[in-house]
Amino acid sequence: MKKILALCFISLFFTSCVVVKEYEKVNLNDPDMALSDKGVKRFETNAHAYREAASGANGGKTGGGCGCN
Amino acid sequence: MKQAVSILSLFFVLTIYAQDTTNTYKKRVLESAEVDFLTSYYSQDGSNAAVSGGKGTEELTDFTPTIVVAVPLNDDDILTVDVGISAYTSASSSNVDPFDGDGEADPFVASSGASASDVWVNGVIGYSHSSDSRNDIVGGKISISSEYDYFSVGFGGSYSKLFNEKNTEVSVNANVYLDTWKIIYPIELRPIEAIGLEPLNEKNRNSYSLGFSFSQILSKKLQGLLSFDLVQQEGLLSTPFHRVYFSDKPDLFAENFQLADDIERLPENRFKTALGGRLNYYINEIVVIRTYYRYYFDDWGIASHTASIEVPIKLGDKFTIYPSYRYYDQTAADYFNAYNEALSTDEFYTSDYDLSEFSANQFGFGITYTDIFTKLKVWRMGLKSVDLKFNQYERDSGLKFSLISGGVKFVMD
Repeated sequence: MKKILALCFISLFFTSCVVVKEYEKVNLNDPDMALSDKGVKRFETNAHAYREAASGANGGKTGGGCGCN
Repeated sequence: MKQAVSILSLFFVLTIYAQDTTNTYKKRVLESAEVDFLTSYYSQDGSNAAVSGGKGTEELTDFTPTIVVAVPLNDDDILTVDVGISAYTSASSSNVDPFDGDGEADPFVASSGASASDVWVNGVIGYSHSSDSRNDIVGGKISISSEYDYFSVGFGGSYSKLFNEKNTEVSVNANVYLDTWKIIYPIELRPIEAIGLEPLNEKNRNSYSLGFSFSQILSKKLQGLLSFDLVQQEGLLSTPFHRVYFSDKPDLFAENFQLADDIERLPENRFKTALGGRLNYYINEIVVIRTYYRYYFDDWGIASHTASIEVPIKLGDKFTIYPSYRYYDQTAADYFNAYNEALSTDEFYTSDYDLSEFSANQFGFGITYTDIFTKLKVWRMGLKSVDLKFNQYERDSGLKFSLISGGVKFVMD
């Protein structure tokens, strides 16, 4: 139940009323503000998928396609 | 868990009804074809090799040249082709047969046999279509990968919806991987039936994943993302050539190498759950802070926390440096036993230290050169960016690796 409440809280937090117009997104459009990783990061993500038990929720493989955990 | 999935699904369905119907100028999704040349060199060492039952060299090197080509098919559609290889040498896997080298067999010495190196080949073709409003994106992909003892075919699809004047994005994706092992046992256990051990009957490993993500602009300088992945794996989830030594059986040696009591045995099902979040903050025109956190747990008893921070710092209009730090910890799988501590009476056991309890620290440093005007030309391509990154990773259990990654991006004229 605590986990469900936490999920609801986080979801509500993210649905804020702030609307940033397109012309106000100059800072958000900075390449370093991207919410995805750069292409070169894939090798780091793959290394972690092989050497660590956890995977997923990071844009990388979640399992399958390799002999890793 | 079913309740959590239901809530997230309901949230996803409800939010996509808040559509943004504003008509905007239709810009090409991708102006011109882009080509990424990527590569990395990975070097690892440790003393807990799973091939030799948790005691032995983990020395490994890996070189991975990769090319990614993204081609705009028209204003709305993009075709992506991603092809790469991973050429590795592994002292650990060379000891599947430690007796085929020139010297005495030893878990801390690499053998020179056929299993000492291999090449993993991977290809992915992806396609995406964006709606005229650019608020709906549908994608699909197929993938194939192969190495000597492993073959995989995968396919997946995704759907993204932007609304709230593109301040909010929700996405859902699903992927299936159908993998097949070529069963290779440790040399002293062949043929495995003759030893009196139960052979592995399952050769397939199927993975089914379902992912949700939700991103939100929180202010003119702050945006975040939540992601939630569920993965069901079935089939052969152990590695056939991982040795296990029992504490309730006598230890047998040939030369300096301890002979296996059995292979790793693990359940044929695993359910993984990962919940992650990103938060990026634009401090000023020089500095950005990028943060990430993930909580993971599965039904093998593993729970883990991952946290990372990266602070891009611009040095003029062409160069940016990327210092970063990452922390990771995990609890052990229920079936993990340290070297020579497994019990023959248990149903499942492994001495793979990747499934043990540990924490790890990683420090990184990268530098990027960017030329938005692509002045440097090579054939018909203009250089857009060059990335170089170094990471140093160390576990408290002794394993460490270094990773050098590089990438060059060109844009076709």
